[in-house]
Amino acid sequence: MTALPTISASAIRVEPLAYVDRTLANGLRAILVPDRRVPSVAINVAYRVGGKDDPPGRSGFAHLFEHLMFKGTSRTAPETIDRLTEDVGGYNNAFTSEDITNYYEVVPSNHLERLLWAEADRLASLTVNDANFATERDVVIGEYDQRILAEPYGMLDELVNREAYRVHPYGRGVIGSPDELNAASLDDVKAFHATYYRPDNAVLVVAGDLDVDETWRWIERHFGAIATPPSPVPRVVAVEPEQTAERVYEHRAANVPLAAVEEAYHIPAAAHPDAAALDVLETILGAGRSSRLYQSLVYTQQLATSAWASADLRQQPGLFSVRLTCARGVTLEAGHAALRAELERIRDAAPSEAEMARVGTQIASALVRSRQTSSGVALALVRATTERGDPAAVNGDLDRYLAVTAADVLRVAHTYLRPENRTVIRYLPQ
Amino acid sequence: MTDLQNAPPAAGPPRDATIARAEERILDNGLRVVAFEQRSLPLIAAQLVVRSGGADEREDEAGLAALVSALLTQGTAERGATELAAAVDALGARLDAASGYDASVVSVSATTPAFPAAFALLDEVVRRPAFSAHEVTRVRAKSISDLALTYANPSAVARLVAQRVAYGSAPYGHPLAGTAATLERLDREGVAWFHNAYYRPDDAALIIGGDIPIDDAFVLAQRVLGEWRAPNVPLAPRPHGAIPPPRARVVIVDKPEAGRTALVAGRVTIERRSQDYYPAVVATAVLSGYSGRLNQEIRVKRGLSYGAGASLSARRMPGLFTASTLVDHARAVEATDVTRATLRSLVDAPATDDDLIARKATVTGGFFRGIETIDGVAAALAEHVLYDVPIDDLQHFARRVQDVDAASVGDFASRELAGELFVVLAGDASRFASTLATKHDVHVIPAGTLDLGNAAGFA
Repeated sequence: MTALPTISASAIRVEPLAYVDRTLANGLRAILVPDRRVPSVAINVAYRVGGKDDPPGRSGFAHLFEHLMFKGTSRTAPETIDRLTEDVGGYNNAFTSEDITNYYEVVPSNHLERLLWAEADRLASLTVNDANFATERDVVIGEYDQRILAEPYGMLDELVNREAYRVHPYGRGVIGSPDELNAASLDDVKAFHATYYRPDNAVLVVAGDLDVDETWRWIERHFGAIATPPSPVPRVVAVEPEQTAERVYEHRAANVPLAAVEEAYHIPAAAHPDAAALDVLETILGAGRSSRLYQSLVYTQQLATSAWASADLRQQPGLFSVRLTCARGVTLEAGHAALRAELERIRDAAPSEAEMARVGTQIASALVRSRQTSSGVALALVRATTERGDPAAVNGDLDRYLAVTAADVLRVAHTYLRPENRTVIRYLPQ
Repeated sequence: MTDLQNAPPAAGPPRDATIARAEERILDNGLRVVAFEQRSLPLIAAQLVVRSGGADEREDEAGLAALVSALLTQGTAERGATELAAAVDALGARLDAASGYDASVVSVSATTPAFPAAFALLDEVVRRPAFSAHEVTRVRAKSISDLALTYANPSAVARLVAQRVAYGSAPYGHPLAGTAATLERLDREGVAWFHNAYYRPDDAALIIGGDIPIDDAFVLAQRVLGEWRAPNVPLAPRPHGAIPPPRARVVIVDKPEAGRTALVAGRVTIERRSQDYYPAVVATAVLSGYSGRLNQEIRVKRGLSYGAGASLSARRMPGLFTASTLVDHARAVEATDVTRATLRSLVDAPATDDDLIARKATVTGGFFRGIETIDGVAAALAEHVLYDVPIDDLQHFARRVQDVDAASVGDFASRELAGELFVVLAGDASRFASTLATKHDVHVIPAGTLDLGNAAGFA
């Protein structure tokens, strides 16, 4: 065999992102990252409101709002954002997570001020009326039917959240329940908007072909006059009690071609010191063809057609999940036993130095790749600011990961991957 | 500070986009090398494009080109699959192989310090794959497992059936991933034969670039792939098969357990080198995107679906134009009518030059975003090379799109998209088949008897 050189993560140059972080008098935080290689710019506006902030009995509200934000304002017609983006060669979209609702556009850079105006406009003067509410509620329920009911395994994420959380609102998921959306009134929706859509609850990130001083002037001009209400933004204070016994839930559905199983373990929040070691654990178990789950379950034992690990680190305590989709002809019990054996292995012995070196290189390389697009850079800053409380976290990422030792990985595996801390979803054909 | 103004401020003057410059050379062994430089981040990418793929496999060996691709990264003369995976990940590299109908592509990318070693791995998998009997058996079994997931997805089924309905037994008709029956027939000998016959430097091209001077990229290509020898026999002739003429018909795959009904409508249109290519791209854009006509009619006006769009896959031979959506079973008839009428609207209510300003902007915007990454630049250059389009055309893509006028879009639509459309529906046929049969030539296939390996069932 020809020996191949290996590359140490420290040989990979990851330049820090040079950003400017300012806050308007009304509390709007703006983070600007000039990068003038390509004449295009990414604008993200993240509101600190997500599925966990839905009012009781009104699950799906944050996500419904994401839709309403495209339906016009007192100054503009519906779909103005589409006209200002698509029609000039850009695009726009939005997503709602458990913690934030993030609106984003990428446009030719000479259109930047127009989009800053449009984002300020829909924060200041959104049209919330019965007609918009009714049509978008139907669209959201259609999305639920399509993504959750119709897709094979579409219910799996919903079930994991529902079973793993008994107290914390992460248990309700993001997309919401059609029954609760149908029960909502226009007043509920207006109250929700007034509560969370305000300058001091937003983070604006602009990355790409921009001049910092000019962009800041535009931000002051368009966002500066929007008032912030005196009342504080309500925050979720519920704390999920420590889980003391394993939970197992079995779900049977039509259109499940191969049995699947997911195990989810409670883990701390994204800002916790163990977060980096949990990301490294995810990489060891699940990233690339040399990862443990692929090598053992898919390649060597051929029990699975895919196997996956995810450290779902959130603003508040999240979940570490492993998932396996059985190969044809393999029973769920056989696949599940093998998955468990891999988790026991990582709990029992620290990873080798070679494995740690490989993971460091994988993580550093992925970080370089993620910097290729202004939209990738902007999203990294949104997540660092909203989930970990500090945009500077993006520039500490590599050092944080490289500081994780094999002993740290063993310790977090031992601390969190305990049977009494897990929720198991068995997903089977009818 | 003042109140928010009532209308958006004016746009500033546009800044010019620069596109990575590319150069090409042909090595002594016939390998065409295209190099480009884009040095903003420490990343380098390469794609080896072999000009043979699924279109070169026989009907009864569907899935062979894809199986060859999948096996390339599963062990070489130097190292087994596990060692190879460990080598790739230790470099933080990506090494992938995949087949389309017209080409098989092996791609690698890595950070600048890791790239030379990663590129050596590309050479290893392309020239010295092991194709061990154990790996053939394992990969074939996994491919058959994966088909179960594909067949559970009504959108995937509708796309596969559309390919059969459009092309019959012509080379683009069979599924690239094969079927359980054709995969069972494939063996190590067939895999080695395909690799030996088609993976050769005089019918391949290497695209390489990123954080490396163009001259250095040529030196690296020569050093690593310069000794690759072409066989002394001419390239095997490509399989033939006449593409059936377009025919208006409705083919339904009855999947009562599907959550929704997938719809794909379309017909065979143009090849990539056609002079109609740019009008065809713009016509597709009139129909696609959130503001495109299909999404406006299907989602925005009628709430029939969460989304709808169109795509054009212009290839070496005439490619497929399709419009697609996913709807509630109960609204499949309405979706069929609206989709057909929307395609027809390109002729009855043609787009004006003013309408086209925005639609052309979506095409050029998408193009520029595509080449924001070095993998994107490599893929765009690979497409040019594969279809014998001069690589300089990459510099002119945006201008050629801008030059398209309403008359050429209208001409293209009336010749190529207006009539003789097929519609494929995959869903609960009991909810819509009988209604459609009163208006259309309808053919129903129960999902349990669907055999994509045999063109006869779709005639």
